[in-house]
Amino acid sequence: MSKSYTYYPGCTSRSSSMHLEKSLRAIAPKLGMELNEIEDWNCCGTSVGHIAEGRLPNAALSARNLALAKDRGEDDVVTACAACFIHTHDANEQIREDEGFKADLNEALAEAGQAYDGSLLVRHVCEVMVKDVGVDAIKAQVTNPLTGLKVAGWTGCQTVRPFAATERGGMFDDFDDPKFMRDFIEACGAEAVEFANNTSCCGGSVAVISPQKSLQLMKTILDEAKEREADCVATPCPLCQQNLEMYQDLINKEFGTDFQIPVVFYSQLMAVAFGLNPLTDAALNQQMIPATKLVEMGTK
Amino acid sequence: MTAHLPETKRKYDLTFARWVSRNVHGGDKLNMCMQCGVCSGSCPLGEQMDYGPRRLFMMIRAGMKDEVMKSDTIWNCVACYRSEVRCPRGVPVTHILDSLSVVAVREGYAEAKNAETTRFAKAFWWSAKKFGLTDERLVTALYYFSGGIGEGIRKGMANQKIALRMIGKKRMHVGMPRKIKRRGELKKILAKAVEIENRNDAAAGEEVKS
Repeated sequence: MSKSYTYYPGCTSRSSSMHLEKSLRAIAPKLGMELNEIEDWNCCGTSVGHIAEGRLPNAALSARNLALAKDRGEDDVVTACAACFIHTHDANEQIREDEGFKADLNEALAEAGQAYDGSLLVRHVCEVMVKDVGVDAIKAQVTNPLTGLKVAGWTGCQTVRPFAATERGGMFDDFDDPKFMRDFIEACGAEAVEFANNTSCCGGSVAVISPQKSLQLMKTILDEAKEREADCVATPCPLCQQNLEMYQDLINKEFGTDFQIPVVFYSQLMAVAFGLNPLTDAALNQQMIPATKLVEMGTK
Repeated sequence: MTAHLPETKRKYDLTFARWVSRNVHGGDKLNMCMQCGVCSGSCPLGEQMDYGPRRLFMMIRAGMKDEVMKSDTIWNCVACYRSEVRCPRGVPVTHILDSLSVVAVREGYAEAKNAETTRFAKAFWWSAKKFGLTDERLVTALYYFSGGIGEGIRKGMANQKIALRMIGKKRMHVGMPRKIKRRGELKKILAKAVEIENRNDAAAGEEVKS
């Protein structure tokens, strides 16, 4: 049975992490998730929005999205982006907890004839997949088990922080050593290698703004993936995927290494494991570092 | 921008500590800090900061306004929230650093104004306000050139290969910027929010004086 969710794709779904969006859209019907986009949604403000004009204008971005989401009539807003999740969820919780903040935001929303009361629940799609769908239901869809593929499950930081272990965050996993990526990988029939850097940070927006500061952080993650002989690293986070993939050349130049480790999304693993087209459905044709072994598993 | 931090007369001035406690989001929780250092020990970029969060929090409590506001700690936070979730006293470390960065910019500290993160944030906000969306390509270009033409060309050249590969994989948009439909609506909401933010700031400033 399919369940309908209000869905917030976020800016990167249209550009740098289009392959997350495409593969998620491909697997969603198989997992009984009907994703309905918020009409005319806007940017969430990311990790830096507050610096430009302050906390309230930044939260106003989320407030507009939430007001538009509320109009759809469903209880949950689901997003697949770690940054969208954290900032929308955070704004939503502050609206619920702080009457003054809520009143201020509603005064701003009123300029466009909108209002928001804080009644929605903002959820990460991985939490939905763990709790509403269930790992068994994911496993049940696997027609092409990824036997022999060694995957380093890299959760990154923001997907599970700071909300994963809170009641409103769904209590779906641990914030220091979450296991859902391992469960997803194993459900697909692949081998989840031990990965101590499970929640290590790639540098996030600092990696985009000042790459030199965070190359060492990414190198540590790649070092372990290589040591564990992983065929690829899999992550739920758009920025993690982008940073770890696009900076490998720079890291190689800086440290004299020779990393060429594919970085994919869990949703791409699932798409291939569900027997969907590895290039178009799993969108593996959009990798900068080709995930050759995974593609071959899909086309055999 | 409304100036609203209290004037401090001494190097260690507790009016600053009280102000942070009352006006910085999460600042009231700083009184809970027991200086255990889990935050600094958990920080991925702690080694690159002037001071780790533990020390910065002690400096706030000691009333060292300028040292706190000028520190690069707030600009090196990667927002991984590891310190925040691990803090045994429930201090929302990341939220506090986020709010301090806003204060440092609004107070006009040169270190804050020139921080790469601030320049990136301004470029980002321009896109968010104008289009309702992040145009990664324009934001990046604007940010690169925010430090002058020379820096723009240097940073642009350094990342040219990455950009071309992204475009090749259809992961960087080319052509006219994508926009939301009701941009006028968003613009009005944001303008009002800025007005309210300034109003609240002014009120906080008055409170300090009284």
